[in-house]
Amino acid sequence: MPSFIKRSRWLLGALLLVLMLPNPAAAKPLNIPVVYYKLPNGLKVVISEDHLAPVVTVAVYYNVGFRVEPKGRTGFAHLFEHMMFQGSANVKKFEHAKFVEANGGSLNGHTDFDYTNYFETLPSDRVETALWLESDRMRSLDVSAENLKNQQNVVSEEIRVNVLNQPYALFEWIDLWQNAFTNWANSHNGYGDLVDVNAATLEDVRSFFKTYYAPNNAVLTIVGDVDTEAVKKMVEKHFGSIPAQPAPKMPDLTEPPQTKEKKLSQTDKLANLPALAIGYHVPEQNSPDFVPMALLAQILQGDESSRLYQRLVKEKELSIDLYGGMNYFGNEFDYSGPMVMTIRTTYKVGHTGEEVLKEVDAVAADLAQKGVTEKELADAKVRYRSNIYNQLESSFGKAHLLSVLALFRDDPKQVNALLEPFEKVTAAQVKAAAQKYLVASNRTVIDRVPAPKGEK
Amino acid sequence: MHKNHSRNPLGVFLVLLLISAHAVLAQQKTPPPPGPPRPLNLPKITEKKLPNGLTVVLAPLPNVPKITTQLLFLVGQAADSDKHSGIAQVAATVANEGTETRTSKQIKEELRSMGANLDLFTDTDASSMFGSTLSEFAPRYFELMSDVAQHASFPETEVALAKDNLIQSIRAQRSQPSFLAGERLQKAIFGKHPYGFVVPDEKSITALTRADLKDFVSRYYVPNNAVLIVVGDFQPDAAFAQIEKAFGSWKSRELPKAEMPQPPTRDRRQIYFVNRPGSIQSEIYIGNLSIPRKDPDYFAIRTANTIFGGSFYSRLTRNIREEKGYTYSPFSSSNTIARAGFFMTGAAVRNEVTGPTLLEMFYELDRMRVLPVTDEELNAAKIFSTGNYSVELASQAGLAGRIATIYMYGLPHDFIENFRPKIEALTPADIQRVAAKYFDTYRAAVVVVGDYEKVKDQVAPFGDITLFDAEGNIVSQPRGGGGSSN
Repeated sequence: MPSFIKRSRWLLGALLLVLMLPNPAAAKPLNIPVVYYKLPNGLKVVISEDHLAPVVTVAVYYNVGFRVEPKGRTGFAHLFEHMMFQGSANVKKFEHAKFVEANGGSLNGHTDFDYTNYFETLPSDRVETALWLESDRMRSLDVSAENLKNQQNVVSEEIRVNVLNQPYALFEWIDLWQNAFTNWANSHNGYGDLVDVNAATLEDVRSFFKTYYAPNNAVLTIVGDVDTEAVKKMVEKHFGSIPAQPAPKMPDLTEPPQTKEKKLSQTDKLANLPALAIGYHVPEQNSPDFVPMALLAQILQGDESSRLYQRLVKEKELSIDLYGGMNYFGNEFDYSGPMVMTIRTTYKVGHTGEEVLKEVDAVAADLAQKGVTEKELADAKVRYRSNIYNQLESSFGKAHLLSVLALFRDDPKQVNALLEPFEKVTAAQVKAAAQKYLVASNRTVIDRVPAPKGEK
Repeated sequence: MHKNHSRNPLGVFLVLLLISAHAVLAQQKTPPPPGPPRPLNLPKITEKKLPNGLTVVLAPLPNVPKITTQLLFLVGQAADSDKHSGIAQVAATVANEGTETRTSKQIKEELRSMGANLDLFTDTDASSMFGSTLSEFAPRYFELMSDVAQHASFPETEVALAKDNLIQSIRAQRSQPSFLAGERLQKAIFGKHPYGFVVPDEKSITALTRADLKDFVSRYYVPNNAVLIVVGDFQPDAAFAQIEKAFGSWKSRELPKAEMPQPPTRDRRQIYFVNRPGSIQSEIYIGNLSIPRKDPDYFAIRTANTIFGGSFYSRLTRNIREEKGYTYSPFSSSNTIARAGFFMTGAAVRNEVTGPTLLEMFYELDRMRVLPVTDEELNAAKIFSTGNYSVELASQAGLAGRIATIYMYGLPHDFIENFRPKIEALTPADIQRVAAKYFDTYRAAVVVVGDYEKVKDQVAPFGDITLFDAEGNIVSQPRGGGGSSN
């Protein structure tokens, strides 16, 4: 997550500068080639050629994330992701990694709120190897009790190393979500409780696979130095005969509107400095408020010129860092459901969370009353465009955007028009978003302070 | 081999039945062969020098309409640390917080207006200004970079704030096991050598003044000590003209002479335990002094590292993760830098398996030393290295970073083209030779960060323990001294 922005006194200079700047809307439009189609079994396929480097990314995105986990199985979507590396009909345990690396590539998988992805980037002459590997596990995942136990141990260690043995224990995600949301699908701990992770059975794994890991619940994306027609044939050969499954029933993610501020304090036995996390509910992605809100987030905390960074770190000297954004794990496009904008800051010993919160409120009040300047908004749009290019620079980054646009919007070609709604946002819309969403009744605040020495 | 590839054919069969026996028949049983090789498209890199001594390296890579830059000064984080510990780090932090004509806030706002970043970091051999911008703003961006490089003003308020924040953030880092382990290992291997410097103490930070910082950059942030690397979407001639305009008036200055001592050697294995009461895992690092980057064995030790623990399908991961389930995050890395280097391996494991993990790590290290790797392993590691190299060179930051190593570590200019043939020429004997020398379990530094009371009995069988607290103070030493200097 980036740490970010701000402005104020240099109004005249700023206006003059605007006149000299190229109009961001006039910047070279994106022109990413996108071929999009569906196999008869429902698999969505995205191909985007790019011959600058001899590299290809193959990615499979499944329409399943933390939010579908049943009660008593927190962390299961992620445990399942690990099981996808434990072998399939023709690929033995962990040999997925062997085949990718021995072909010059790298690989990973990631579980998120609303998707789980698997991807490999490798020299482009090896593209069919990656397609074969992905098809083999989509078709014929093979799991054993021994491998499940092994991965339950591995995932338990992952939770220890990233959460339980860390200062702050990811409270700005796990604890904030547990309190900001009331619907269990949204609020539960997606990394998982160790008890739940270790309670999972082989039957759970098999049924999850059958329900969610079908071709009609997935996107296959190929980006890079390949020939589209040749790749289409490979896709048909390896994925064409994988049978579709009944569409899975998705959980109700409806979240009742929050009407009152929620505030908690916690102590931390491992931390040396206090920290504050704030989550504001954001508008739904198809709401007209959404894009103005995304630019507001940019102006609020998008970089070191941002309002909050300048206020908390530079002017008031309360915080030593600031990070967060519209989507704690990703961007505006790679989730599908209720979301909170996260603000997370480590502040100095000798100060209180209330002092930090007071400054956040002052920034919010200023935005609600005076809004943003034209220059500030224009610059935030430039910053946003630049950030999108950062994502599009790597073949994986490009594959990611194309995949989530196919998964959640059924239209990866939108990638070339991604910036258009952002360019149209007005200062009045950003001000209105601040008035509506940056209010105490819409937020959850957690103040986490080091436990007194004796408790360590 | 600690492989775990035995499978129950019946189990496989049952699962297949669950899915669809018919569909499985259509599935190919073995991996498809590679297609015809694709052209490598190595970037065209040109080097020029300005009259003031600034080296300019241009490498077009027009994957997005941005450019990525690195302005590196050949001055490491331990420079001048005998007089002013931490001065290079603080100078780098404050350099872009104000110039003679721009406030900190103006710099940050200007960067935003170009979709740009400009941040300074220090490492063992350089202080670097990393940045990127939308290509359309390149001339303004070079002008701003040049202003920061030449005219950083170190305003009193910014210096005070940066010092305070550095002290606080080091305190915060001391709550993280990976920071504590890395710091202790680097100190154990390099002792008082400049490469043993990680972060300054609070007293040294407090003592730094604005005048010290200005003096430091006036001596080291000079064009004849700098290399400007530009990668991305630009026209080389136009970019060079913009750079000449922005940096041409920068004055060169004679450089201070720096003496670099030899790093210490170690005659026996020693354990450095950093106590972190309440830990539910032990963070284990094992390391040894190795070679500078320009040593011809760079390619062999890099590849030995890939096979041992530097890739996902490595021996270490297969053993302590995929077979034994001790850990999520085993790894190893070969860190070769300008004057020396070190090889290290690490894992974070639950308290109960601290001893068993040490046993397996030593076993896997020794196996690399005693037995040759198989042809299959070596061949896979070669393709892994060359393939991932292509991926690295396809990103602006990856290519800029590779070019930077040529200047930081004194490598031949054909390093990028020659990487592939050098890797391809390696034999199993090369791998065993470097492993025998540098994966030296009997003279290794072993660091454990964890709850001493809970795991000390599991660690004690592996050697004499020197116990530290999280601040780096020695709590207890074995009789006869705690080994290498701190």
